[in-house]
Amino acid sequence: MTRGFDREWQLDELLDAASQEKIGPALSALLGGDFALTDQAGKALWGQPSPEARREALILELEPVGYLLSSSATPAALSAARQLMQNLLRAQVRFKMASTLHLESVAEDFESLKREHARLSESEARYKALSGELEARVKKQVGELEERQQMLYEAEKLASVGQLAAGMAHEINNPLGFVRSNLTTFEKYLGKFGELKTHPGPLAEGWQALDLDFILEDGIDLLHDSAKGMERIARIVADLKAFSNVDRASQEYADLNNCLREAVSMVEARIPPGIQFRLDLLPLPGIVCLPGHINQLFFNVIRNAVLAIADSGRPGEVKISSEADETGIHIRIHDTGVGMTAEQIGHAFEPFYTTRPVGSGVGLGLATARNVVQAHSGRISLDSQPDAGTTVSLFFPTPP
Amino acid sequence: MPESDAQHLTFKLVYYGPAQSGKTTNLLRLHDLLAPELKGEVMTMETKDDRTLFFDLLPLGFRAPSGLLIKFRLFTVPGQVAHDGTRKAVLSRADGVVFVADADRAQETNNGESFQSLAANCARVGLDFEHLPMVVQFNKCDLPSAVPEAEIRERWSAAPWPLVFAIALTGQGVETSFELLIRTVYRNFCQKLKLQSEHGLSEDAFVAGALGKST
Ligand SMILES: Nc1nc2c(ncn2[C@@H]2O[C@H](COP(=O)(O)OP(=O)(O)O)[C@@H](O)[C@H]2O)c(=O)[nH]1
Ligand SMILES: [Mg+2]
Repeated sequence: MTRGFDREWQLDELLDAASQEKIGPALSALLGGDFALTDQAGKALWGQPSPEARREALILELEPVGYLLSSSATPAALSAARQLMQNLLRAQVRFKMASTLHLESVAEDFESLKREHARLSESEARYKALSGELEARVKKQVGELEERQQMLYEAEKLASVGQLAAGMAHEINNPLGFVRSNLTTFEKYLGKFGELKTHPGPLAEGWQALDLDFILEDGIDLLHDSAKGMERIARIVADLKAFSNVDRASQEYADLNNCLREAVSMVEARIPPGIQFRLDLLPLPGIVCLPGHINQLFFNVIRNAVLAIADSGRPGEVKISSEADETGIHIRIHDTGVGMTAEQIGHAFEPFYTTRPVGSGVGLGLATARNVVQAHSGRISLDSQPDAGTTVSLFFPTPP
Repeated sequence: MPESDAQHLTFKLVYYGPAQSGKTTNLLRLHDLLAPELKGEVMTMETKDDRTLFFDLLPLGFRAPSGLLIKFRLFTVPGQVAHDGTRKAVLSRADGVVFVADADRAQETNNGESFQSLAANCARVGLDFEHLPMVVQFNKCDLPSAVPEAEIRERWSAAPWPLVFAIALTGQGVETSFELLIRTVYRNFCQKLKLQSEHGLSEDAFVAGALGKST
């Protein structure tokens, strides 16, 4: 039996003891003294049903829920009392059903609210997680944008520096050419002038007196020094040209291992003693690139490695390795040279930054290298310990 | 499952549907039309604007050859959206449902929402909507704005429930809806309640008893 509002209500539920106390005496009085109320099974709720009493059924829906009994009442009076009781009970059952249903529906609404609340809490948690995720994503993208921005800025800077360098190289090359050629000619002239010494005639005395022997010798030395200086200028200009050339030239399909071997052979030609090369090159997929620039890049990095070992004053080794995975080509150029401080690493890719004594280079090696790498959508990074050595890691993506 | 003891078997039947679709009118007309052995008064719980606040109840009953008293308690639910808690409480423990839709074209959305709420509330109160005995009644077919029968049939062609087109105001289709529902109820419970085997009740006898007339 359920306890729902829709149960069939029993008489003793509808008439509690207090109502019975009120109704009992009133009905007794109305019905001439004898009155009893029983439930549908005959159990007395009020009064003592006498065996000869008249009986009227109390019906709420279909079946009697109880009986009115009286031996003193007339049939009409008993029937009227039944009407009265039925009306009273119907009002009572409506009240009971309505209030019980109200409680049930409030409980139901409360359950709904709880479910709703649980759903809301859950979705709140989901949104929290989502917003955290979004924040992280936004942060990452902002970071990426900033990095791009920085790269663009650097690239612009490099491009303008490159233009300047190209202009300078062009302007310097002209005077360089004729100064070099003049120096050679002038040396020839000096030789001619030296013939005066053995030339028969009165000039020999003056030669001695003016110590022209020394002047001639020193003059030639000076010319040689000047020629060396010119050569150095020519090399700097060549570096400048290479640096400024990065965005030109044509693309080719190339094996980077070949480029590495070429660069090594170029550096090896002027290698100081005590420096070893070790190549550890695994097969690589071919990539579309600017081989001239790639050669320049490898040349710069390898030459830096050699110079770093030379600077350390110890024998050392340059180890070059390459390998490919599904994302691209990884190249590592490691030396056992002087290494770099954190501050030096920070500046390493800036054009015109150099750790070497003024005059030994323009400091365009790594700046050019990075330019080349970026033109190939690649990455370059430095890892170094002072006095232990430097590793330059290069990465070139391959199309998926 | 109907409530039962040795002498009684009570089926709870619920008239469900949107507000003002004619549920109370269905009960009032059934009270006039049916003449079973036992018939109570319609108990309505209405507010003064005539909208059912809690529920209406019509009790009917007849005795099976075995002496078992079979009772039907027909309830209506309040259609207003605000009374969902009450609707659920009234719907719980139902043995069958007449869904009273309003054929007025303007009421299509309300019908849809009410039907959705019936399905959802069945799940909430532990009724198996798929297997619940049900009849779908489209009431107010007399209205000029009523959706034509053919269109409704077409739209409900995939649904498993019998469709009745009614004018509750005049009683048309009211008895048919009730009869179709108790036939489904009988088939649903005949085995479980041994209606035929122990109580000697055939489907037709069951229906005849409930309607108070031979069918
Ligand atoms: N035109 C028309 N009106 C009806 C019909 N059935 C009921 N109504 C009216 O619709 C209104 C709502 O009926 P009611 O039975 O109270 O709806 P309930 O809210 O579902 O109980 C009342 O004004 C009824 O007179 C019908 O078949 N045709
Ligand atoms: Mg109503």
